[in-house]
Amino acid sequence: MIFENTFMYVIALCVVAFVTLQSVFFIVKSWKHAKELGIDKEKLKNTVVSSILFTVAPAISILATVIVLAKALGIVLPWIRLTVIGNLAYETTAAQTAVEAMGGSLAGAITDPQQFSTVSWAMTIGSIAPLLMLPFVCKKLQSKIGDAVNKSESSAKLGDAISAAAFIGIISAFIARAIAGTTSDGVGNAGFMSIAVLVVAMVAMVILELICKKFNLEKLRPFTMPIAMFIGMGAAMLFEAVLPADIVNFVWR
Amino acid sequence: MQKTYFDKVHRWGILWNIGALLMLLAIPVSISLYFNAWPTLQVLWSVLSKLMLLYWVTAVIEVITYVPMLGAGGTYLSFVTGNITNLKLPVGLAAMENAKVRANTEEGEVISTIAIGVSSITTTVIIAVGVLAFSPVLPYITSEGSAFKPAFDWVLPALFGALGASYFAKHWKLVPLPVIVGVIVLLFAPTLGVGTLMFVTIVAAVAGVGVLYKLKWL
Repeated sequence: MIFENTFMYVIALCVVAFVTLQSVFFIVKSWKHAKELGIDKEKLKNTVVSSILFTVAPAISILATVIVLAKALGIVLPWIRLTVIGNLAYETTAAQTAVEAMGGSLAGAITDPQQFSTVSWAMTIGSIAPLLMLPFVCKKLQSKIGDAVNKSESSAKLGDAISAAAFIGIISAFIARAIAGTTSDGVGNAGFMSIAVLVVAMVAMVILELICKKFNLEKLRPFTMPIAMFIGMGAAMLFEAVLPADIVNFVWR
Repeated sequence: MQKTYFDKVHRWGILWNIGALLMLLAIPVSISLYFNAWPTLQVLWSVLSKLMLLYWVTAVIEVITYVPMLGAGGTYLSFVTGNITNLKLPVGLAAMENAKVRANTEEGEVISTIAIGVSSITTTVIIAVGVLAFSPVLPYITSEGSAFKPAFDWVLPALFGALGASYFAKHWKLVPLPVIVGVIVLLFAPTLGVGTLMFVTIVAAVAGVGVLYKLKWL
């Protein structure tokens, strides 16, 4: 694979360094300001540990998508792309559109440097729109919302309800997908498994919260969400292993 | 006081944002220079016109949807590192929920930024280590027939089930409307991108709050 040489690895490491630096920069600034605000250090530590736990499994599935794209593009370009901005659906569509426009296909390894560079251009330009918009709109949007929410005591209660509603709106999109969604590759269509895993994770979360409350396990509380997620994933493995294929593969979408 | 900290975050964020743009554009430029292979404008335009029609329009919706939820620092980080819906957004929300702080306050700002920053580093490290050290064995873990495959196929329902449960228990009155609206939308547009679907369900949920508030059911 000619697109897995030292040069490509150097680009990838530069990208990794940039992303890490930016993250460290914002963490350090926030940490300092959290201290000024008098936020408990324990709370900050819990935030770090539970965020790591929460990230591990989704990050491994992102890694799996890097491997999928590697068959056609070598491993380095997908690695770069999924470290910045990328997500599988977008990167695959971009690569496919670009390669097909040049009469090629993603089924085999790409060997033509021009196809490869066209793919890299398409992936980049197609996905940078948010970065072009943010410098102009981010501050305006957030200060408007901040003013509205923090205006007065009476609007604070409505503000709380609205931000709860927005959170619920986000989660509802995924619940709705588990109930009635389809995906372009057919993996993850709504059916027995999507609902079963969703329900198991929810029930696990409720039980874990009750346990925390009952036995006063304040230390466990920040980790209930990642643990419930792992229980949901474990249930998926268990169902696949013990239930008949007819049930496991049953989809209605 | 409050204005100053947010002002600073936006200033840093915009600088990093511009840096990220330059770095991103440098990738295809250096690939083209190194392999001495530039795309023809004609092909590139035909590809980009299709992609941009779809993704630049979605980008507008995504920015409007995510920016109020992610906080300032979280926004600038998330839009550079990507994987927002399946990772950065739920991590930020979970952290604010655990720490019992509200979005769009300074407390919410620092907590969500720390969570999203930590999540970005964790993802970057896992992908880098995975690519450099485990790429030969990884296909066996996630490929067809592996015992672990179902766990990763269904990571999103597991993640959002865990995240949703405590919200739903607390605000159960707000739940049915956005879920029903989301399902109806999916019946007509089953493969609709989750960023766009989310915009619809958030509008439905917020509209639901307005109605319940008017009826004094909240």
